[in-house]
Amino acid sequence: MEFNLNEETKMLQSSAEKFCKEKSPSPFVKNMIKDEKGFSEAHWKEMANLGWLGLIYDEKYGGSGGSFFDLFILFEEIGKTQLPSPFLCSAVFAGLLINEAGDENLKKTYLPPVIQGEKILTIGLRNEQGQYDHAAAALEAKESGGGSYVIKGTRILVPYAQVADEIIVCANLKGEKASGPTLFKVSGKASGLKKTPLNTLTGEKTFGVVFEDVKVSEKDILGAIGKGTTYVDKVLPKVITLKCGEMVGGLSKVLNMTVDYVKQRIQFGRPLGALQVVQHYCADISTFLDTSRLIAYQAASLIDIGFPCAKEVAMAKAWCSDAYKKSTQIAQQLHGGIGFTEEHDLHLYYKHAKVAELDLGDSWSHRQKVAEEMGF
Amino acid sequence: MRFTFTEEQNKFRQTVRDFLQAELKAGIFVTKSGGLAEGNNQEFSKKMAQRGWIGLTWPQKYGGQGRTYVEKAILIEELFKVQAPVAYHFLADRQIGPSIIHFGSEWQKEYFLPRFVKADENMKFCLLFSEPNAGSDLVNVATTATKEGDFYTLRGQKVWTSGGHQSDYGWLLARTKIDSSVPRHESCSQFIVDMKAPGVTVRPIINMVGCHTFNEVFLDEVKIDRKFMVGQENDAFKQIMAQMDYERAGMERLLQNYPVYEKVINYVKEMGKTRKGDPFYHWVQDSVAQLEIEFNIGRLLCYNTAWTIDMGRKPTSEAALTKAYCNQYEQRLNDLATRVLGPASQIREGSPWTLYDGEIADCYLWSPSYALQGGSVEVLKNIVALRRLELPRK
Repeated sequence: MEFNLNEETKMLQSSAEKFCKEKSPSPFVKNMIKDEKGFSEAHWKEMANLGWLGLIYDEKYGGSGGSFFDLFILFEEIGKTQLPSPFLCSAVFAGLLINEAGDENLKKTYLPPVIQGEKILTIGLRNEQGQYDHAAAALEAKESGGGSYVIKGTRILVPYAQVADEIIVCANLKGEKASGPTLFKVSGKASGLKKTPLNTLTGEKTFGVVFEDVKVSEKDILGAIGKGTTYVDKVLPKVITLKCGEMVGGLSKVLNMTVDYVKQRIQFGRPLGALQVVQHYCADISTFLDTSRLIAYQAASLIDIGFPCAKEVAMAKAWCSDAYKKSTQIAQQLHGGIGFTEEHDLHLYYKHAKVAELDLGDSWSHRQKVAEEMGF
Repeated sequence: MRFTFTEEQNKFRQTVRDFLQAELKAGIFVTKSGGLAEGNNQEFSKKMAQRGWIGLTWPQKYGGQGRTYVEKAILIEELFKVQAPVAYHFLADRQIGPSIIHFGSEWQKEYFLPRFVKADENMKFCLLFSEPNAGSDLVNVATTATKEGDFYTLRGQKVWTSGGHQSDYGWLLARTKIDSSVPRHESCSQFIVDMKAPGVTVRPIINMVGCHTFNEVFLDEVKIDRKFMVGQENDAFKQIMAQMDYERAGMERLLQNYPVYEKVINYVKEMGKTRKGDPFYHWVQDSVAQLEIEFNIGRLLCYNTAWTIDMGRKPTSEAALTKAYCNQYEQRLNDLATRVLGPASQIREGSPWTLYDGEIADCYLWSPSYALQGGSVEVLKNIVALRRLELPRK
């Protein structure tokens, strides 16, 4: 048991902290909500140049073969300032799926441009209720002869679909020889794709995508037919853990904002923070932060060394989901009216906490996973 | 970051485990929650001493092993999982010894430390801190120690003295300066009191579990030699603040009811065989999974606190936060255990139809004490707020 970051990680952390603070102050984040693209092209280029997008990928694809734990630290910093970008959906989720399922040729074609930030990929794995349904996908792929397929159905909450070069989906393939859940990549410009921007809590760019008989070929299949669920399940723990990193970062910002505010705000002739009830609320947020950080670092660190950790990942997402959300609720209470305004920054985190909770399984669903791992 | 143990640490854990399993097999003790409160067994402590497990973290020149606090946490984890009877030496090992090492005189070090690490006879300690009017507000102690030549005379009353009736020595906080112009926290000193000395009277307090662990201690003109004063006169609070960190830092704060936890998990596994579709089972599954998450986090907090000490940092806010968290976990555990096991869990030891000899019922009764002893959860949150978050006092 050791709880310090090594020197290399610390350096990466401080450069990421500086980058996020500089590039992503809250007025910028708020502007991006109204922006059509939803992120800055210039930032995206810089993130690629800094090597962030390729951090965990093999050098032969242009990555740097770095550690997953370091990637986690990046997401913690991103979470602090809510820097918007397609990092998670493109260079992590889609990239890892290609890395996991794709053959060498596909990896060589797709990973380098994703790592360079030249191509943006996204993920359409959520059904009309917003649930990940890769185990029994409502999206269908029918054989249409000559090695072609037709995809039909609806995906929602597809991040950055408007700029995505490819959307990766898991469709239930019905073929003569083989069938089952299968990963496809679908060109963002394919005819029959209908994208509708969704106005969600955070305002992050996300879309409903209707597949009206979208034509794909067998070359668009990632990996083996019928193995889509397996690939996604293999990659999900990493995505979930990075989401926890984002949440831990957000939570630490919420604690800082709240402590600063109650030190400055004078009521009853003294700072609010001198009131014991307020102090105890702040101690509670501090406890939520320490506990979330420990349980999430554990998951990231075990993934990093290749230790089996399905339970640890589920514990992290279950705990962080609750802890972050509760902390933003306490923070709202302690900020009073000002925290409820659009002008203030607190709402960014209040919203992010809820959306992050609902993404990739909330605390209840991850507790089910923990129970399963316990042999219940 | 490393969330695994080294090979050496794993080996150490296994050695401790093997020893405990042999003791269990030989019937030296049984695993039942409450080992810390009731397991007063000098013979067992001696066996631990022979293995170097008392004073594990102390410097070698004081008879310790100079090992890390992470290793100490491993030791405590294994001891408490089976509720080994460690009460005889526990306080001396956890905080009296370290306090003497930090603040004690040469004589005190030479006299007490070798006896502690050997678990010698007549070396059981209790704490004489709380008083009827000094609980969370500890600086309000009214017991006085008046200097008269080479002696101090003690007058006053202490309360909530755990194990006072079994102890040979008490670690006492008393007022040495009666001067209202001096701040209260700069007028107290610490002493070691012989519990058999003339003028010391120990009276039992039976707690709501029905157990005698607490006592009242009356100090009526008790004369003690000045060599039993610890550290500097009027410096007690500086010393106590350091001492309290160790009192709060330990893994035992998470594991006082570990056998209950183990029983609940096994009970639920059994339940799953017949009641999978039952809505009650769904609730149980969800609740116990939450508990498992809380337990794992508590464990990480404890190791993190131990590691903080190993890094040479004062673990004041880590220890406070960890203890507050773990106390609340143990309370939730005991409450949940009664509900998972259902109404029969209220039947106490000795009655027919009792579950686990009434252990669950007893533990539910013990629960309120965890969040009070060694600093209430509220006092601990104050420490986090004031020391770590630097919120204003006024």
